[in-house]
Amino acid sequence: MALWVDKYRPRELSKLDFHKEQAENLRNLCKQSDFPHLMFYGPSGAGKKTRIMCLLREMYGAGVERLRSETMTFTTPSNRKIEVMTVSSNYHLEVNPSDAGMYDRTVVIDLIKQVAQTHQIEISGQREFKVIVISEGDELTKDAQHALRRTMEKYVATCRIIISVNSTSRIIPAIRSRCLGIRVAAPNETEIVSILQSTCKREGLALPVELAKRVVDKSERNLRRALLMLEAAKVAKAPFTANQEIPDLDWQVFLRETASQIISEQTPGKLEKIRERLYELLTQGVPPNLIFRGLVEQLVNNCDMSIKAKTLEFATEYEHRMQTGAKHIFHLEAFVAQFMNIYKKFLSELVMTDDF
Amino acid sequence: MDQYPDENEEFELQYQDELELLEDLPDEFNPYDGPSTSKQAAEKQKENQAPLGLKDNSRFGNSTLGSPQLSQISFGASSQLETEDAGGGHVNRRLFGTPKGPPAGRGCSTPFQRMPAIQELEQTQLTSRDKDANTAAEKLQEVGLKNVNKRRLERDLFGDIDDLFHESYEDPLVKKARTEEQRDHEAIDKILELRRKMRESSKTLRKDDVSKLKDLHDFKMRNLSYEIPNWPFLAIQRSDLERIYVRFHSEDYEQRQLDMVSARGEVVGSLLGEAKDKIWQEAGEIVLSRTASESEADVTLVATNSTTEPGRLWVEKYKPRKYIDLLSDEMTNRSLLYWLKMWDKVVFGKAFHSKQEQEAMAGEAGGGGGGSNNQLNSFNKRTGKFESNGGWRQRKSRQALNTNVDALGRPMQKVALLCGPPGLGKTTLAHTIARHAGYNVREINASDDRSPEAFKLALENGTQMSSVLNTDKRPNCIVLDEIDGAPRQSIEYLVKFISDGVFNKGKAKGAKAEHNILKRPIICICNDVYDPALRPLRQVAFVVTFPPIDAARLAERLVKIAYREQLKTDFGSLIALAEKSGNDVRSCISSMQFFNAQKQCLTLQDVLNNNLGQKDRHQGLFAVWEAIFRIQRPRKTLQTDANKGDEPAQVTMTNMSVNTRVRNVLDAVHSSGDYERLTQGVYENYLQQKMPDPNLTGVCDALKWFCFTDTVQHQISRQQNYSVYPYLQYGFVVWHLLFATLAWPKIAFPTRGFEFQQKSTNQRNIFQALCKGVTTSALGVGQGKTLLLDTVPLLKRILSPQLRSVAVQLLSPKEQQDLRHTIEVMVDLGLTFVQVKSQEGHYVFQTEPDLDALSTFPGFPGLTLPYFSRQLIAREVDLERIRRAAPKGGAPSAPSVAKKKTAGSAAAQLPNHLQTLKPKPISEPNMRSAPKQQLTKDFFGRITHKTTSKNSTEEAKTDAIVKSPIWYRYKEGFNNAVRKDVHIHELL
Repeated sequence: MALWVDKYRPRELSKLDFHKEQAENLRNLCKQSDFPHLMFYGPSGAGKKTRIMCLLREMYGAGVERLRSETMTFTTPSNRKIEVMTVSSNYHLEVNPSDAGMYDRTVVIDLIKQVAQTHQIEISGQREFKVIVISEGDELTKDAQHALRRTMEKYVATCRIIISVNSTSRIIPAIRSRCLGIRVAAPNETEIVSILQSTCKREGLALPVELAKRVVDKSERNLRRALLMLEAAKVAKAPFTANQEIPDLDWQVFLRETASQIISEQTPGKLEKIRERLYELLTQGVPPNLIFRGLVEQLVNNCDMSIKAKTLEFATEYEHRMQTGAKHIFHLEAFVAQFMNIYKKFLSELVMTDDF
Repeated sequence: MDQYPDENEEFELQYQDELELLEDLPDEFNPYDGPSTSKQAAEKQKENQAPLGLKDNSRFGNSTLGSPQLSQISFGASSQLETEDAGGGHVNRRLFGTPKGPPAGRGCSTPFQRMPAIQELEQTQLTSRDKDANTAAEKLQEVGLKNVNKRRLERDLFGDIDDLFHESYEDPLVKKARTEEQRDHEAIDKILELRRKMRESSKTLRKDDVSKLKDLHDFKMRNLSYEIPNWPFLAIQRSDLERIYVRFHSEDYEQRQLDMVSARGEVVGSLLGEAKDKIWQEAGEIVLSRTASESEADVTLVATNSTTEPGRLWVEKYKPRKYIDLLSDEMTNRSLLYWLKMWDKVVFGKAFHSKQEQEAMAGEAGGGGGGSNNQLNSFNKRTGKFESNGGWRQRKSRQALNTNVDALGRPMQKVALLCGPPGLGKTTLAHTIARHAGYNVREINASDDRSPEAFKLALENGTQMSSVLNTDKRPNCIVLDEIDGAPRQSIEYLVKFISDGVFNKGKAKGAKAEHNILKRPIICICNDVYDPALRPLRQVAFVVTFPPIDAARLAERLVKIAYREQLKTDFGSLIALAEKSGNDVRSCISSMQFFNAQKQCLTLQDVLNNNLGQKDRHQGLFAVWEAIFRIQRPRKTLQTDANKGDEPAQVTMTNMSVNTRVRNVLDAVHSSGDYERLTQGVYENYLQQKMPDPNLTGVCDALKWFCFTDTVQHQISRQQNYSVYPYLQYGFVVWHLLFATLAWPKIAFPTRGFEFQQKSTNQRNIFQALCKGVTTSALGVGQGKTLLLDTVPLLKRILSPQLRSVAVQLLSPKEQQDLRHTIEVMVDLGLTFVQVKSQEGHYVFQTEPDLDALSTFPGFPGLTLPYFSRQLIAREVDLERIRRAAPKGGAPSAPSVAKKKTAGSAAAQLPNHLQTLKPKPISEPNMRSAPKQQLTKDFFGRITHKTTSKNSTEEAKTDAIVKSPIWYRYKEGFNNAVRKDVHIHELL
């Protein structure tokens, strides 16, 4: 627990720093006997997982913090072995089925069903159900989600499922309706600043407000990112100063550079260089939708008003199409080429109107 | 009747030794070789009772029977005394029993040099006879074909004749003499045959015997003598010991005689090749036109012809029977034959000389043997000429035949692997060449059991045994046909079998080991040389790749077959057929047979309209990409013909039309079928193509199609929904129309997609290792993508504290704090530094799992720790790990206190080391039993007492020495170090 994100993570609902009202509601929820399936949704770094752990502690006590991690092996119908990491205590099991990629259905069927079927051995003073925490639920394939819906109903006596997702849009309605949705919004700026300052205080550091605000800006209100950035900044330069450099995320910088290259030149040769960069991003595991988003943000910022709308229109079109395919590079390149096309047309028209 | 001494015969004569092999084979029938020997001719002669008009014929009779009396009977007096040519003279001389000595002083009057003249003569004779023009035409047709066919052969063959068959003889002089004699015999036969034909065809008058006799007498008077004559002569001893002098004629005279003979043939024309060619061409045209016009008349004849051999495939019927018939690429044939000949030493015990040796030998002989100097010089000269042409050996370097031999005289590559598309005659080649080289072919093909056991048996039987029942004891040559279909184990066994011989030899040289050595050649045949199962074989084998047969050459052969079968057709349509079938000989011949059975004629229209003869060819990926990126230039002749044949209305349509292009692209794409890889190839190459449009509209359109293709492919692979598969092909059409140019496209093999996949997998594996290492106390770093995107880049910064390169104790408090923090983070995330050797050779500390490789982009720094810091951290991390792994019981000081307590409480029972040193106190039962034992009586029967208990107490006193926690013990010859109990936490 050396990283600040771990070290100063709230362990109890009462100690949460923001959305305190919601924390109170959750505590009330625990007190009642009928605890529903839950779905925590909200952006990354808003504290969903923290809230889930606090909730579990509220329900089962400190025993839930005695975690052990295991690697489970499954055999898919096509006789392929897949390994999935699980973190579990005596009372709950946390699993990330998307680790199994397209075989997540097997995980849902084998693991979750198996856990859900078994009863708690000792129920003295505890709940009579276990909790399965599914993280990154929106990465679940449709098949896996369909496999999950019946499990949720059938074994409701022995288990509850808590799904943590970024967006509910990729969860099928059947699951959505079975869960109580709890939205965990990203903390606002002042909340993050106060958290950062309290963290620094506990570390024995003084944090200038300007720096804190810049960190918030850079982290896009992602609390995890903000804390990590601050820690990284601290390693670089120990007593904080207001105009200190804050480390960037490499891939974001790389993406920004790519976007500026697109703006700078529109030729097939350039397109090929852009393709190399896109390949690089994909290789490093940056999800294609993030690439899309990063590109669009940068491109729209740097182009004329008249083609902004068109850019967005094409972006949506190509991103949507990308979801139907498997080779993301085609779609990304298609979008880049399309933008080059409209941008170049725009420039030539500009020249023509200037001539007149 | 088709034995004409043309250039090819000349070639055969010259390389008699090579052809000997052919003649060895009893079952070998040589279709080009007339069976008429001189003896047969002589018998015929007797039956005819000298119906001879020419003096030559009389001499023929004379010569064959070898007795002047008999010849005299048939001799007709003739006024054409002057026609006795040098050839005739030579014949006589030979028949009088020329010794086998070198032809000293004969100058250039060797039959070999006369051959062209004789050939010319025969030509003129044939063409001149109008009476039996029909038969003559037939012959001519064949001559023409053979010539067209063989002229090329010659060209290919000549360059390397010398090194192909080096039969080694003790003395090159003898060899020369022998071969020369054979040549002479050949020439004699040829001439006689020729004259006989001439006589028959001309239906000459019968001359009266007197004139013949006179003729002979005159001839003899002028050329033979019993005394020493005044003209140049050669002395010969007859069988009855009578000495005869035979006249020598000058070269000019000889030439004159020849001219006269040809002049008598009633054709006034040049004897040079030009005129000859013209005549052949004319004759060929005449024959072709005649067959075309006569075919209606011949229908009945054809019908009878075809019914004579019902149920026989033409493919079988016209299968090449001997080497010279082979249609496949000459260089391929040659290299394979050369390889097979390299086995001669092992198999036949005949020495086989490499080219260099041969040359050396020839040079030596040329310097030493004065008599045969002429001959040799010309021989050498020719060799030089051929080499300048570029012998096959220079060109075949890519075939990679290792001409070295191993210790046993076997070629280094013990297996030949023939590969190429079907229908080129690989199997035929293997069989023909093996037979040619004097082997008995044992074929194992896909229809046989090829399980490893059966395979083993067949191999051993084939290589180590020879058939008993067969009368001819020819060695076996194993032909493994269709080996690409054999099970992998079998091929592995084969490879082992091949190399085993060498291995055994090295290990043990006994009679037993000898048995295992491969002593017979093995030829493998496959279609796809890159079959994964063949990989081991490919490395040891001599790989012969079959180039496709030239369409024109194939068509020539087809013309011949068509002629024999009286199928009405023309050269153009046969070329079209050859091209359509992708130069597949088998398919072409089968198609022809089909057309023959159908309607006895084959026109271009038929070929183009029918789907026959078109096989499902597999085109290479590059060929398809080229078809996509390149607009094919119109191939006028064929295409216009096709249009004319198909729909005469559309003759104006050019080949460049979009319609045709679309069809071409679709055809090409269909022939490959691997759409995914094709798409990738187009994707990685299309930006390099020329694009006229500046706004990238074309690129956008192309990319839309890429997206579409991707979507469709995803659908197919995900849902197994192949109903959308047909839509995949149209993307290629669009890309073709957008990017194709007339210029030659530069196409690179698509590797980027594959690299991307490899790299992604690699990254994913590293990342998974990282995820696994994260301990439960560091769950705040997130999971999955969050960990990768948010944590990892920042983690690199967090793990890069600035430390001075000094000892840990000398670090400033801040640095120590940073270090402590870094170490804890690393332990939490399961990271450590390990020492690895970098590619440059020096050691570096690398994170394990390799955090540096994750989320790295060109131009961005990773972990900025220097070597020293890494080393320091690595050590500290290991210590921290051990500390954490220690049993948890609170603070580290607490357990030690507790342990001290326990140690104190257990002071009564001594520590281990003391226990071992302390002698065991004699236990109660012992004490009780001891008196019993020691109640031993002495010699006199008195009871003796021993004070054992006293001793033990004394020893117990000495224990005081070792009671301190430090002790030592002498261990014999090993270690006498001072020992002390140390706990792990005291070291940390």
